[in-house]
Amino acid sequence: MRLVIARCTVSYVGRLEARLPEAVRLIMVKADGCVAIHSDGGAYKPLNWMNAPNTLRELETTWEVENPKGEKLIIELHEVFTDSAHEFGVDPGLQKDGVEAHLQELLAIAPDMIEEGLTLIRREYPTDIGPVDLMCKDPSGVTVAIEVKRRGDIDGVEQLARYIERLGMDSSLGTIRGIFVAQTIKPQARVLAESRGFRWVEVDYDVLRGRKSEELTLF
Amino acid sequence: MKFRCERDVLAEALGAAGRAATGRTGSLPVLQGIRLELKGDRLTVTGSDLELTVQYELTVDGQQDGGMVVPKLTSDIVKSLGDPKVELLAEGEEVTVAAGRSRFTIRPWAYDDYPRVGSTTASSVTLPAADFIDALRQVVRAASTDEQKPQLTGVLLAAEAGGLRLVATDSYRLAVRDLAGTTVLGTDQQVLVPARALQEVIRLASGSGELTLRLGERDATFEVASARVTTRLIDQPFPNYRQLMPQPAPNVLTIDKDAFTDALRRVRLLARDTIPVRLHLGGPTLRLEAISNDRGTVSEEVDAQFDGTELTIAFNAEYLASGIDACAGEQVTLSTQRESNRPAVLRGLGTDDYFYLLMPQKV
Repeated sequence: MRLVIARCTVSYVGRLEARLPEAVRLIMVKADGCVAIHSDGGAYKPLNWMNAPNTLRELETTWEVENPKGEKLIIELHEVFTDSAHEFGVDPGLQKDGVEAHLQELLAIAPDMIEEGLTLIRREYPTDIGPVDLMCKDPSGVTVAIEVKRRGDIDGVEQLARYIERLGMDSSLGTIRGIFVAQTIKPQARVLAESRGFRWVEVDYDVLRGRKSEELTLF
Repeated sequence: MKFRCERDVLAEALGAAGRAATGRTGSLPVLQGIRLELKGDRLTVTGSDLELTVQYELTVDGQQDGGMVVPKLTSDIVKSLGDPKVELLAEGEEVTVAAGRSRFTIRPWAYDDYPRVGSTTASSVTLPAADFIDALRQVVRAASTDEQKPQLTGVLLAAEAGGLRLVATDSYRLAVRDLAGTTVLGTDQQVLVPARALQEVIRLASGSGELTLRLGERDATFEVASARVTTRLIDQPFPNYRQLMPQPAPNVLTIDKDAFTDALRRVRLLARDTIPVRLHLGGPTLRLEAISNDRGTVSEEVDAQFDGTELTIAFNAEYLASGIDACAGEQVTLSTQRESNRPAVLRGLGTDDYFYLLMPQKV
């Protein structure tokens, strides 16, 4: 990733013509060749950009970025304040819901917070249609498939139903029942879960996290 | 300003100063840069975020006095050069870094914007660097990195009868080292020095003969060879660690340090995050165990000598490994009370100038 902060003028020549007048902006040149020009405001959208693949030609005070369609981004650099490059490595991708993942992690440590006597068999138990969040056994030896969501709606219940159907094909697992777990579960999802024979359980994320406060400390 | 010098020497100085330069754009963006000041053949390289300042003095082939503030990137540029001789020239609005057939032209920060940094007027004390650095290494590991609790992010340097005491704690462990015969503070004086600064001192002082300390009321300076680290002191009360000083313990495990470390290294493959390592004390062997519902289990036995009553006690594996590593000698002792929820104490066998107190974890 190359980051250049510069006073610059930007012209786009292609399907239409657009021009950014002279101002200080951040120019990002990503490892895949994407070029994006940002102002000091707005959360996500660049003022102008050129997706990869494209060709960047650096002249003395001008950059020309051209894509295979012949569209051009011409950046005139009037004053460069900083120009740095950083090696990012492979990006692990977007983790869409950190709370959900953490919720699953905390419940894996303490499955008894879902139902007394549950013991964890495995997190992310694999099936051919995707992993079951938590696979547990209850004290009577029955296998329990658990789907964990941050917000429980009917899609989550349907997902659990599909998993249980697939798991039912594996006779070695014996009887399987399902529990739908979320911080809050919508009324429709509760009705659907009950109609499918699943238990539903609402858990308090803060209480689960609070279990950490039981850590022993020196003072 | 113009000078020539050895690439590696300049790269080291720029790297050290660059670690102190701020990464944040605050009211003084110039602090993101590294200041170079040349007088004759003396080049002073400075990086600072106003809390921590690192200064390096180098002898170079000075050709024209002056100063410049270069971006941190200059450190990477100098390091990357193929030729071992580097020339820096500041002229107008440009700095040129040249070596062999490479030539970089970079934009400097405004030299006059750089503030006066890094001076402590307190009187100085010079002491052998090796002992002090070893002591720092033993305690700085127990300091917290949680900026929400600034009083725990430092190392307490306290005058004790007969010497200097270094103390650090993150509330899960406490490391205390006494340096007998070392007097750097006035009677009953104590200062709380940021661990970040001391880690830089450790890095810069390794292999040096002497270290000079200046401990003021608000700042502390550590001078070693050609480097100087100045830091603001932490103005917060340090926890009352004295109430935690080890009491006689009914259980004492004595074990070979390397064997304990090796076994723990293997057990730590599963004892991560919230999974503690369980120590089963009793009999002629120590059994280490980690149980992860997710990943599996591991257990390993190590020959040991144990005096006391059987006990299973669990610890954060990383903290335990760090404590063992900090103890001097070939054997370490782990002393515990009869209850598994009270702190344990690690020491090097036969040494009484250092201990590492570690709180157990619930299982």
